[in-house]
Amino acid sequence: MKLKFYLLTISLFISLQLSAQEKYRISANYNGVSFKEFVTKVESTLPVRFFYMDEWVKDLKIGDYKDCSTLSCIMDNVLSGTTLFYYIDDFGNVVITNNYAVKVTNTTVDKTNKYVPPSDFSNSAESQRNSGITSMEIGNPAEKNNPGKVVISGYITNKDTKDPVPGVTVFIQKLSVGAISNEYGFYTLTLPRGIHALKFSFIGMRDKSLNLSLYGGGELNVEMSSVLIPLKETVISAQKSVTLQRFEVGAEKINITSFKLLPTSLGESDIIKSVLLIPGVQSVGEGSAGFNVRGGSADQNLILLYGAPIYNSSHFFGFFSAVNSDIIKDVTLYKGGIPSRYGGRISSVLDIGAKEGNRNEFAGNAGISPITTHISLEGPIIKDTLTYILTARTTYSNWIFGMIKNPSLHNSRASFYDVNGKLTYDLNKNNKIDFSAYTSHDAFRFNSDTTYSYNNNIYALKWRHFFNSRFFSSLSINNSSYRYDVSSQFVPAEAFMLSHKVNSTGFVADFNWFLGRNEINFGADLTKYTISPGNYLPYNDSSLVIPNRIQKEQAWEGALYIDDKFLLTDYLSLNVGMRMTSYFALGPQKVMLYDPELSKSNSTIIDTLNYKPGQLIKRYGGPEFRVSLNFRISDKNSFKINYNRTRQYLHLLSNSTSIAPTDTWKLSDYYLKPEVGDQVALGFYEMLFRNNFEASAEIYYKKISNMVDFKGGTDLIMDENIEKDIVNVRGKAYGLELVLKKTEGKIRYSVGYTYSRTFVQSVGNFSDEIINSGKWFPANFDKPNDLVVTFNYIFSRRISLSSNYTWSTGRPITYPIATYYVSDKLVVTYSDRNKYRIPDYSRLDISLKVGGNLKSHRIAHPYWTFSVYNLLGRQNVYSIYFKKDYLIVRGYKLSVFGRPIPSVTFNFDF
Amino acid sequence: MLMKIISKILLALSILLCSSCVTEFIPKTTEDQEMLVVEGLITNRPEAYAIKLSRPFHLGLNNVSHPLSGCNISVSDDKGNSFIFSETAPGTYTSDPTKFQGVIGRIYTLHISTNFTNNVLNYQSVPVQLKPVPPIDSVYYEKVTFTEGPDGFPSQQGAKIYLDTHDPANQCKFYRWEYYETWEFRLPYMVPNNTCWLSNNSDVINIKNTSAIAEAKVDKYPLTLITNSTDRLRERYSIMVYQYSLNEDEYLYWEKLQNISEQVGGLYDIIPSSIPSNINCIDDPNQKVLGYFSVSASSSKRIFIHDNFAGVLSQFNDKTCIADTVFGASNGPIAWLGVNVWVIINHTAPPPSYRVLTRTKGCYDCTVRGTNIKPDFWVGDK
Repeated sequence: MKLKFYLLTISLFISLQLSAQEKYRISANYNGVSFKEFVTKVESTLPVRFFYMDEWVKDLKIGDYKDCSTLSCIMDNVLSGTTLFYYIDDFGNVVITNNYAVKVTNTTVDKTNKYVPPSDFSNSAESQRNSGITSMEIGNPAEKNNPGKVVISGYITNKDTKDPVPGVTVFIQKLSVGAISNEYGFYTLTLPRGIHALKFSFIGMRDKSLNLSLYGGGELNVEMSSVLIPLKETVISAQKSVTLQRFEVGAEKINITSFKLLPTSLGESDIIKSVLLIPGVQSVGEGSAGFNVRGGSADQNLILLYGAPIYNSSHFFGFFSAVNSDIIKDVTLYKGGIPSRYGGRISSVLDIGAKEGNRNEFAGNAGISPITTHISLEGPIIKDTLTYILTARTTYSNWIFGMIKNPSLHNSRASFYDVNGKLTYDLNKNNKIDFSAYTSHDAFRFNSDTTYSYNNNIYALKWRHFFNSRFFSSLSINNSSYRYDVSSQFVPAEAFMLSHKVNSTGFVADFNWFLGRNEINFGADLTKYTISPGNYLPYNDSSLVIPNRIQKEQAWEGALYIDDKFLLTDYLSLNVGMRMTSYFALGPQKVMLYDPELSKSNSTIIDTLNYKPGQLIKRYGGPEFRVSLNFRISDKNSFKINYNRTRQYLHLLSNSTSIAPTDTWKLSDYYLKPEVGDQVALGFYEMLFRNNFEASAEIYYKKISNMVDFKGGTDLIMDENIEKDIVNVRGKAYGLELVLKKTEGKIRYSVGYTYSRTFVQSVGNFSDEIINSGKWFPANFDKPNDLVVTFNYIFSRRISLSSNYTWSTGRPITYPIATYYVSDKLVVTYSDRNKYRIPDYSRLDISLKVGGNLKSHRIAHPYWTFSVYNLLGRQNVYSIYFKKDYLIVRGYKLSVFGRPIPSVTFNFDF
Repeated sequence: MLMKIISKILLALSILLCSSCVTEFIPKTTEDQEMLVVEGLITNRPEAYAIKLSRPFHLGLNNVSHPLSGCNISVSDDKGNSFIFSETAPGTYTSDPTKFQGVIGRIYTLHISTNFTNNVLNYQSVPVQLKPVPPIDSVYYEKVTFTEGPDGFPSQQGAKIYLDTHDPANQCKFYRWEYYETWEFRLPYMVPNNTCWLSNNSDVINIKNTSAIAEAKVDKYPLTLITNSTDRLRERYSIMVYQYSLNEDEYLYWEKLQNISEQVGGLYDIIPSSIPSNINCIDDPNQKVLGYFSVSASSSKRIFIHDNFAGVLSQFNDKTCIADTVFGASNGPIAWLGVNVWVIINHTAPPPSYRVLTRTKGCYDCTVRGTNIKPDFWVGDK
């Protein structure tokens, strides 16, 4: 019964391409008359009869349709925007239907030589019998036998919120042809005429199938309804037909509903932790900020929220993601095959798609977990026109510190919050403006004399304009900033405040043009960066600290890009793109010149260059080619190859294994060249066992030049001339990623195994610039073996169980190998960099979701999540550290979450 | 400093999340120990300077040093002089104070030649200038009370020792300090060797960079903290502080050494690596050298602490001394028990006479721990 209800509410819009020989001409002007009156008048003047139900048309009025001189033109206009369809048969019967279009069974076929055989008209009857599958037609049946293929396109929207739904797969199994809706929910397909079974699918949405009788090109707009509670899909997956269709090797789309079901750590759904389950993505340790994609360092990931980069993507130094999962609509990770509209980072792009407010009604969600509490509110301000969404999350962990007896911990505090807001305004059908804002804040206090805090702020204004149904544009301006502040009065005479700031303002123009078999994207972006590397100031008047402000850095980065996705044949498609970037480092700046015969240090400075404000210090740039080829061997498998080059002008200076809280951002300058990455990847994808299983294998090889490392033991805080401490290194990485997934049914699972290696080599000239005698050595995040297994069992729509297991090789580490005395002090000496490894990592998490009563979801829909993180209680090594203990150096291993961590989260929608 | 604070915060956080997650761990490594360790300091003090050569020892092993004998060492200056160092103890090579005293402003270079398995290797340091150093303004202490400790126990007190210095010429930006502690201790029994002195060297790196501060001024630099759980503060305590001025290269050497020595290996700690020495092997650049050839003028200051501090002595507890109380026994071995005993109390009057014995010689003779020769700088009692 329920199923039927849903199918009835599925509504389709269709505009029929009219036949050339329209015979019912209407000359009178019916502007303003009701539909019933119109019918009466038309029936009296023309040989037609209308069939409909009064209740369907009671609100319909005929408008002023200019240039409408035919009956069908008026019908098109008056029915557009409703759920009604009409059909005029040869006998003058005008049949109006609600929710579905009438299947035309005109079979008079004029055979011509140019006839393109329809895929299969014969199975139409059988398809019709599949109860609930909607049938519809596009084009004039008379054109059925015309030559050539036709193009259909349309928008896919969420039925409840009227939001466009990007990433929907439109797939025709029989032809193995498909498309994916773009960020406006728009899709386009080139098909032979005939009857096709189209399937629209998207994680978190009810699959929608329809039988299409295609006679000519046209528009097919589809509304999809979301599943009531997010129990339907539970696996992070590049969707099955998407996998075959996408051009990129290594693009993964994560839907929010899928990752919300993943086992949580401390009760929080966490986007970065979900990303870590994707083959090829690793982290150096539990709770370390950032992640490493295919052998790239953590600062080589472009994390975009509202189109702007987030400079610190974590709370609590990495235990939580900085972005509240409540606002996430979907997340796309490009491990490779980065589209040319993205640039500025080498390894990956993590594009977080943010939700828009509900267009129909007020809705909300709130929840509480052991560490945090969150609330989200959304709804229309003007129905269908102006909507808002507001989410907030905060911790209440401070009271835990207050309860601890230890005096230094008793006075310590740790907390964070984040707030997201978005306003969306539809000026009209073709113009849409939205404004988004985000702020996050972390604060720590240690023993009442030392504080540390950091903030992210993002503002973005975006204007989307649809020139027509095949040409879109999006213009946006955004600002993202990050700062941290440390202050300490531990030593009163040296009480200090230290701060670091990075600020970027970007202007982005993207154009999206569907031209026959081509999808052309082009655009430009321009970003201004300002970095305040460090300000070290006295905390109060009694402090003797000399105010020290390291000179600000500024630079402009500009890019122009164009790419074209086109179908060479039905089986071969190509995406060729180029991104041209230019980077200008500008003054004012004081640049030290060093004796070229000696290693750079303060004592080898021979001269100083002074650049005036706005004066060009250095220019970098060049073309970045992005090429992908997708070869569909059959409808069950495909082969892809791809190459891309990326450049990075902004670097995070990190001298530790993981991103440290005090790491600073640095722009390319006189000495620091942009990092350049080249990646080649091959992928093979296959659907198995009636498409219930999906298997893929990807291999990649990557080269990175101008990476940054540091001379041994350097402290980077308030380092004025960083170039003297930098060691230039280059990297190479390669790997094989294997995935097998079962994506249908009550039991679903996926197994991913990655073998990957990442190596680094120093390329300096002087002894202190050479690491490990100039030989290749494993990077900090080189973890060759990585296995991720996820398992989901959906008992019912109310109860589901999910679990995941990960195992990986331990990360490399530099061990102390010997101790000795220097003026009676015991000190240690170390092995070659990263010569040893910490023990293997292994963890099993489970979680059980229990939903409340489904029927009451309109009032308040509660659900509970019970989860256990690290169920096996394995003491995974987080870090190994060495401490001098009087006359002996001892090693210790520290494991965070070294025992099972249970948590309960309570959420409810209202 | 900053990183340490943040490491502490993180450690506090992780301890909250997991109470018993730190376990001791000694990594297994497979490295040879054939590196040359050089410890050398040339000052302007009129004394014999020592250069020590050794091999490093395995991690986790306590204090097993491997001195290197039979090497040739000399120091040359920029005036063309060369001073030979002769081996006075295994691995320790000393200068002749009548022939060689450091002069401010001169530039010195260390030369080492080793000859093992008929393979002569010559090492040479980077030339280092002997820089002047300002005097220490003051060394002083503050009494601190530790409130930490289990309930019901008396509070523990201690002394925190600080140093102030400044350079009127505003030249000396980088400082290093070494200190030598000496304290008197007494056995609580009337035994012949009842009062002794014990000395200890600073075992952490004490450096300070004043280039971020307006004046070349060091204010209240915390040198060390002595708790009353040792017997340092029981009778009389003295600390001698030597101050050295460093050039920036040497300062960075010590700073890096400090960065990677105190606590390393955590996720936010600087990735450790060997710190390059200022001594290199001329014959074979692949030979690793550890240590540093330091050259600096030095100034010094000594203070005494004779104050009363509260607290329980945890080391050298009197109760551990007493073995038994016997009537009529003497010093020396007790044959039938196969142990040595010493008389720590010999009570004769009023009768009955008895003796208290100990099996710990340190309870009977303070020279087991220290020396009974009063240091010549010692002022005050005895």
